[in-house]
Amino acid sequence: MRTLLDIAGLSVAYGHVTALHELSLAVPEGGIVALLGANGAGKSSLLKAVAGVVRPRGGRVVFDGRDITGAGVPARLAGGLVLVPEGRRILVSLTIEENLLVGAHLRRDPDGVQRDIAAIYDRFPNLGRRRHMAASCLSGGEQQMLAVGRAMIARPRLLMLDEPSLGLSPLFIGHLFALIRELNRDGITILLVEQNTAQALAVAHKAAVLELGRIVMAGDPAQLAGDPRLAEAYLGRAAGEPAALH
Amino acid sequence: MIAQQLVNGLMLGAIYVLVAVSFTLSIGILNFLNFSIPGLFMVGGMVTWILIGKGLHWGLAILGAVAAAGLVALAVERLSYRRSQAREPEVPLVSSLGFLVLLENLALVGAGSDQQAFPALVPDFNLRIGGLVVGGAQLVSLAVALTLVVAISVVLSRTSLGRQVRSIAESRETAVILGIDVGRLVPGIFILSAVFTALGGVLFALNYLQVSPFMGEGVGFKGVAAMILGGMGSIWGAVAGGLLIGLTEVLSITYLGADVVNVTVYGLLLAVMVLRPQGLFGRPPAREKL
Repeated sequence: MRTLLDIAGLSVAYGHVTALHELSLAVPEGGIVALLGANGAGKSSLLKAVAGVVRPRGGRVVFDGRDITGAGVPARLAGGLVLVPEGRRILVSLTIEENLLVGAHLRRDPDGVQRDIAAIYDRFPNLGRRRHMAASCLSGGEQQMLAVGRAMIARPRLLMLDEPSLGLSPLFIGHLFALIRELNRDGITILLVEQNTAQALAVAHKAAVLELGRIVMAGDPAQLAGDPRLAEAYLGRAAGEPAALH
Repeated sequence: MIAQQLVNGLMLGAIYVLVAVSFTLSIGILNFLNFSIPGLFMVGGMVTWILIGKGLHWGLAILGAVAAAGLVALAVERLSYRRSQAREPEVPLVSSLGFLVLLENLALVGAGSDQQAFPALVPDFNLRIGGLVVGGAQLVSLAVALTLVVAISVVLSRTSLGRQVRSIAESRETAVILGIDVGRLVPGIFILSAVFTALGGVLFALNYLQVSPFMGEGVGFKGVAAMILGGMGSIWGAVAGGLLIGLTEVLSITYLGADVVNVTVYGLLLAVMVLRPQGLFGRPPAREKL
């Protein structure tokens, strides 16, 4: 499978604190890659560096064959590299529709934007019904749907999701992972950061475990799910206990 | 003749509206109480006066004054706001106050402390509606202020640019993630705020036919009062506050005498703060974001 995103030797540091240490990762086109790891392992830093929000200390980011290490956020967005940030970051003083329109601000095809907004309302009728209300009226799960919708309107080729299931009810978590599968079937490559390890491994084609800014395990999700070290560290089960998914 | 005083109050209020909107843009979008604004008001009036004195057409003189205010605002952004953004919010507040002192004293050195006579640009015609007399300059003030306020309000609420600015107002970090060009839009807000203020200064000169290095101070403080009265960060709140303070001032001068005008104006502010701390159009507890 062709590589869509190629991260090579990427280092990120905040002052003297190293968040990523010469990390390399390839995301194949059309795949779902899950990044796992404890808080502070560097997962969010990796997504932010790929999105262009954080400047790396070293290394390269190649997207679709082009070196984008020095590119700004708008250029990356225009190329189809879109981040759904941790905590959703919905603009609560704007209406639901305005949130979607802000997500489309780099596009120059107003008709296409209107069509895509209509498609998002079809997919999430709860958003469509309240399109002119302030986004603060949405529940956490609906806000996550709006955050995904706002990313969709930017026409992603690679969608990066940072802890999308955080704070959601089990019902919404089910919806969310079904949505991730659906978007992937539509041809969008997914890079998923999750604390919900079992669900993430179930949906992913490839997984990597981060620890202190380095990848310590990577490979087939089914194998990783059965790995006693991962079970012990992140699934909250004792080693040797069977890894039941779902 | 109370109706006549109401008209006069609204016309004076129009000038406060421009200053109050300028303050509210700065605090609502940038979270920055920009104390250089009274200085920009003075730059609007004084530079217009200086350029007319040098023989320039009044239209070009006003354009030059607005441009000068815009350049000063960019300097405030670069030297005061941007440098101290990451630190305490009081730091840019105090250094912008430094710009006010600097601007006033530059004007003092250049033109002396006297009131300077400003030429009558608007033909001295009076519009008579029934028993009311409305001066030409007063009409111009109200028309300019209303046009600008409606324009900024429409841009903020209806356009992509406006949505991007409101995104910055709510969360700069989110705006960056969404690819909004914060580094370009923030100086733009400073320039916009300067245009409002400087035109306020020009209108003041047009109405009172005089300018001075300290002309921005009284108006500036009333502009802050108008913004707080209306609710910080709300444009229509700034409009209501500005007009209300203009009315209070004129009625108070007419019926209570000029000595007590500050007592009534700031007394009104105090009363509103006690009864409705968030201001007339403000939303508790968080500040309204435009």
